[in-house]
Amino acid sequence: MENKLKEEAGKLLKEGKVDYIIGFGKGTVKFRTSPLITNKEEDLDNLVINPFIANNLSRYPIELKSRVGIVVKGCDSRSLTSLIQDNKLNREDLVILGVPCEGVVDIKKVADQSKAEIDQITDINREGDSLAVQVNGSSKTIPFRDVVFDKCYGCAHPTPLEYDILLGSEVPPSLETEKSLKGIKELEEMDASDRWKFWKEQFSKCIRCYGCRNVCPACFCERCFVDVNMPQWVSTYATWQDNLVFQLIRTLHVTGRCSDCGECERACPVGIPLRSLQRKMVEEIKDLFGYEVGIDKDSPPVFTHYEATDPEDFIK
Amino acid sequence: MEESTWEPKVVGFLCHWCSYAGADLTGSARLEYPHNIRIIRIPCSGRVDPLFILRALQNGVDGVLVSGCHPGDCHYQSGNFHARRKFGVTRKLLEYVGIEPERVQFSWVAASEGPKMAQVINEFVEGVRKVGPNRLFKDEQ
Repeated sequence: MENKLKEEAGKLLKEGKVDYIIGFGKGTVKFRTSPLITNKEEDLDNLVINPFIANNLSRYPIELKSRVGIVVKGCDSRSLTSLIQDNKLNREDLVILGVPCEGVVDIKKVADQSKAEIDQITDINREGDSLAVQVNGSSKTIPFRDVVFDKCYGCAHPTPLEYDILLGSEVPPSLETEKSLKGIKELEEMDASDRWKFWKEQFSKCIRCYGCRNVCPACFCERCFVDVNMPQWVSTYATWQDNLVFQLIRTLHVTGRCSDCGECERACPVGIPLRSLQRKMVEEIKDLFGYEVGIDKDSPPVFTHYEATDPEDFIK
Repeated sequence: MEESTWEPKVVGFLCHWCSYAGADLTGSARLEYPHNIRIIRIPCSGRVDPLFILRALQNGVDGVLVSGCHPGDCHYQSGNFHARRKFGVTRKLLEYVGIEPERVQFSWVAASEGPKMAQVINEFVEGVRKVGPNRLFKDEQ
């Protein structure tokens, strides 16, 4: 896949079909990738496709404002489609290089499973359905699906839905739906007051770094409501109350745009389970309006559109 | 405040074109509704940002009522249809984080429905009274 990507990306740049290539580059930290944005052919050698390509790159073409060749996984492609629906991107400006994705490895889970620190892991290799992990010279085998990100469980579209060039063969959807909704079920079974307590504790940790907002491809407001000071809706001071209000409103702003890529949670330095909120909303809009994010680039976004038959049993 | 003397304080965001006039009619018709509600007039139920609801709760009100025109009656054609979608997910999210559903109520009340406005406010205030004072955003609980 990697070689095909380099070849195709090189061709695109050489033929002048795109101005930039956005892909996954080798990270400065082991077992992580970082975004690689380039208009030079010689940089394309640094492109990688491995089990650690967690980044959602679909945010970058908005700022580049040029013709772009972009590498996407299934979830990223739906973010991209959602941005096209919101008129943030033109489909004609994009050459989408699709990566069929079998799941992205969460290095923290690998460390947990192999009972080691991340620094002690020297090498990880994919061998069929398992990962061979080298820890301090000894080798351990871990089932691949045990160490992928939570978002990968129940992934309905591992193969990009929208692409120009597909770099591998299609991957069937994940059927572990139950596993994917486990966290939500557990919270829902709690009392309302316990749920509130849970979120209160979580948001007491928040330091308001805005990493969740800055990494989110659906968060594309020119000026975020938390930065507005006339009127000041939310205090910039990181109290749990304001943190919670900020995150709830952010959640509602990206509802209908969020493809459940999980970048908010991955970016969070204090480990707040932010994906739980987004995931819940993904389920709700499916339930209420039968809408799934990023499926059809020609359909209107869910909240710019309404049906006379929308549910209103909650309205007196 | 002592529990025994506590009275709920709720905010009502009422649409200028229908519910606000409906509340006006309630008064003209000499129908009684609880004094616990503080009414804020808004141009359309579609104007109500979920942020208003959360900020109101954060600032300590015990409940928020949002009322607009019946579907199809919107002065701006589609404001209440959009609001309906927005509120549908808003209440789900608020419930998910543990805010009692009784604290946030949506309703459609037309300008001619004075009695209905009184009934909606009455029922809402009673519901809020049952769940008690809003201590959600207090540091100690």
